[in-house]
Amino acid sequence: MKLVVGGYSQGKLNYVLQKINTDNYSVFDGIIPDDAQLQETFAQKKKVIIHRFHNWVKARISQDGNPEEEILLFIQKSPEVILISDETGNGIVPVDAFEREYRERTGRILVELAKRADEVVRVICGIGQKIK
Amino acid sequence: MILIIGGSGSGKSACAEEYAAALSEDSRRYYIATMRVNNNEGQAKVERHKRMRRDKGFNTIEQPVAIEKVMDIIGLSRATESTALLECMSNLVANEMFSGAAPKSREEVTEKIIQGINQLSKGFKNLVVVTNNVFEDGIIYDETTMSYIKAMGIINEKLAAMADKVLEVVVGIPVVVKEGK
Repeated sequence: MKLVVGGYSQGKLNYVLQKINTDNYSVFDGIIPDDAQLQETFAQKKKVIIHRFHNWVKARISQDGNPEEEILLFIQKSPEVILISDETGNGIVPVDAFEREYRERTGRILVELAKRADEVVRVICGIGQKIK
Repeated sequence: MILIIGGSGSGKSACAEEYAAALSEDSRRYYIATMRVNNNEGQAKVERHKRMRRDKGFNTIEQPVAIEKVMDIIGLSRATESTALLECMSNLVANEMFSGAAPKSREEVTEKIIQGINQLSKGFKNLVVVTNNVFEDGIIYDETTMSYIKAMGIINEKLAAMADKVLEVVVGIPVVVKEGK
């Protein structure tokens, strides 16, 4: 698993797409593919890119899901996934409780994913810095 | 002095504790807690941090304002043999700025906090300071909040100039921003 993080609008997806052969990957935007989608992707001999991973985390929190466990299960099924996520914690702590929870939990999930990742890249101005 | 900066949920606390524990070796460890607890969420945060610190041997001092008073509590002779971890600057600045009837000016707050950190930095054998990246959400807040953000920025700048080493924690990974001695 590879993790790519950075601020909003920093060219993270473009950075990833430049590094890979795009014929070999399917991009999912703000969602995690379900088992059927995953099998279809694998049947086409493709690997998975999750773009805007933070949007999926936010959706699962608002649906009372368990994104912490669900993403770890997904990684077992798709160990070569590339996850792209905004860094959400670099601001004033929001007054709104849900926004606060979303930022905090997204941050903690990214820390856990970074521990498990083979490679972590931080992108700024479209340029990637490999930090792990 | 080591300055550690990160966003919320970045893993900066765990990283700071590891650094402080490693620096202190077998000497005494103090944790200077600046957060004021006034609700359940705050309490849960404190409990989570306490669990994280339990096995790392930190003595906790709660000092939500006037951090220089820590020197009176511990005493210089003990401090010179000890390592202190101060967490975190965002709460300290908010407490200093907003504790009175009216918000204090950012100049006054900045001056007071830098002086306090100076005393701790001179007094302790090792000092680790945790601060926050509150600068990148792109939102224009009310004047008071913008003044708070500006104070945080100025304080971080001064702390970074004083620090031997500055680390930014990104998804739990320390990235060196300033590498001193």
